[in-house]
Amino acid sequence: MNPILSFIIIIIGLYGMVTSENIIKSIICFSIIETALILLFLNLGNVGLGDIPIIVEGITNMVDPLPQALMITTIVIGASTTALAFMISIKIFHYYGTLEWDELLEREG
Amino acid sequence: MKVEFIPVLLVLIPIITGVFIYITHHYRFNMLIFLAQGLVSGLSFRYYMYFNKFKNELYLNLGNWSEKISIVLKNDYLSMAFIFLTIIIWWMVIIYSWKERKKDSKFYFFLLFLEGVFFGLLQTNDLFNLFVFIEITTIISTILILYNMTGESVRAGLYYLLFNSVGVMFFLLGMAFIYYSEGTLNINILTERINICQGLNLTNISYISIMAAVGVKSAFFPVYNWLPKAHSAAPSVISALLSGLLVKSGIYVFIRINMMYGLETFREFFIILGLFTAISGGIFAVSQKDIKQILAFSTVSQIGIIIIGLNQVDGNITGGIIHIFSHAFFKSLLFLSAGIIINNYKEKDTNLIRGMFHELPLVSIGVIIGFLSISGMPFFSGYISKSIIKYGLKYDFLVYMMYLIDVLTITYFMKILQIFKEPRDLKIKYKLKVKLNSEIPIFILGLISIGLGIFYQPIWELLLKTSVNKIDFFVFEEWMIYFSKLIIAYSTYKLIVEKDYNLIKKIRKTNISFPNTNYLFIIFITTMLIWKL
Repeated sequence: MNPILSFIIIIIGLYGMVTSENIIKSIICFSIIETALILLFLNLGNVGLGDIPIIVEGITNMVDPLPQALMITTIVIGASTTALAFMISIKIFHYYGTLEWDELLEREG
Repeated sequence: MKVEFIPVLLVLIPIITGVFIYITHHYRFNMLIFLAQGLVSGLSFRYYMYFNKFKNELYLNLGNWSEKISIVLKNDYLSMAFIFLTIIIWWMVIIYSWKERKKDSKFYFFLLFLEGVFFGLLQTNDLFNLFVFIEITTIISTILILYNMTGESVRAGLYYLLFNSVGVMFFLLGMAFIYYSEGTLNINILTERINICQGLNLTNISYISIMAAVGVKSAFFPVYNWLPKAHSAAPSVISALLSGLLVKSGIYVFIRINMMYGLETFREFFIILGLFTAISGGIFAVSQKDIKQILAFSTVSQIGIIIIGLNQVDGNITGGIIHIFSHAFFKSLLFLSAGIIINNYKEKDTNLIRGMFHELPLVSIGVIIGFLSISGMPFFSGYISKSIIKYGLKYDFLVYMMYLIDVLTITYFMKILQIFKEPRDLKIKYKLKVKLNSEIPIFILGLISIGLGIFYQPIWELLLKTSVNKIDFFVFEEWMIYFSKLIIAYSTYKLIVEKDYNLIKKIRKTNISFPNTNYLFIIFITTMLIWKL
């Protein structure tokens, strides 16, 4: 796995953020960026091909366990952000009857 | 119990109390928030006494792992001052909202949770925890913004949540770069290790992407349009909290990150950015009609001044820090007053609210104190911070720009001040009732605004341990400048703003959709990259 792959995914996500007109698509693009960053971080911990970071006999060359511990937290945060955003978009559909950013702006009143 | 563990308790006590209130869900337990709040105030005071013996910095290493990987809480004078600010603002918010939401356990659950998280954000000493706390702050403040579930607030909440989350993702990106090049996330170790080289390397790119995140979080020039939406759609108590304190979380991170990198090449960039933020925020504020929109754009404009103050050429950031504090007090004072006004008149348009002074005398005095502070009248808190910032500026051009910003400030406040006019139709009788508990915070915040304007020297020397120059109140020149600013602003208001020309209407209707805001965000990052090259 190459870090360049995660940069490509980040750029895809940003492209989606700029172009998508739909709220759901925007939320999906946010998730894509987040996933790419998690991938990038996990790559950084894996310097050389190491074993799993559990201290038992016979394992000498371990990967760095810190990024993995950090990324669990990031996944949780990302999940809660996404869930909250979806909940709010349901409410928006109730109030405005649309999920397009443009139409939302027009109904500013 | 040992004194050293108080930083953890500051984080845990509000969160545990909040969760307890939420689980039991009985309104009698809501009284517990006063207990928790009192406990937090007492403990922080006790910790400050203990802290003063060591004079410098205090660390708390949780779990005694090696410093490179463990969670460390750090306190210095800056974070202690911010902790006191947090406690005062939270007292005000709780007292203000108590009568109205006495039985609402859910509201107080989120409020207390936010307080605990905010204490964590102020005290943490590693980048990853900083990221976690910023994200939790974003999520909880979104919930508080859309708490009343009106159409407008729901839309503003989504906008706020998505845009801030995308911004903060770049904080994570910067962190990845810095972890790759330095191998740790502890801020103290990083401060020692980072040496800045010229050209584009990993350290500089990490700085740029972290700054992009901070720029979104604290509403810098091209990326601030989430702020007026969110701050005007939220309930007034929450707007006071957001404008007074939560915007400053971004600026606090800005100070910390700049201390960590010690980079000087971006100072001029941020001064230019601050000017743009202040002036454009002021122009938008002048065009608005809605009282909360005016105040929200005014926050943007004041943040511009804070950024200028934090990037002085000689590296002295005292003026910026003092302006953060004085802005926190007078802006929450103004938002709380606006809350009372809107509750009573059921009206947000400044052209329709009339006869305030007869109906609500104490609130009117609060608004006037807020106005005098924000416009920089001698004897009020705004004058002190703005003067310190002005003395630190190197070029005359920037000083004139500060005058221009002040004139804009007074001009948009003329719009708010017209609520004191007598109503055209004298027969209209409003039945106004103001509860005592919502007037107490206005009284206290007004007193603090005046107090910080007069006794600024002992207070800041005690809290920040830096010497503050004495500022003379009776300089004829300063008074002349102040009154000429008033006159210019009043004539601009009468001649241009009150006529409501088409251009002003157009500015008022300007609205940027979400995808275009992301465009602006990418442009913001690219500009910083080009500046570095």
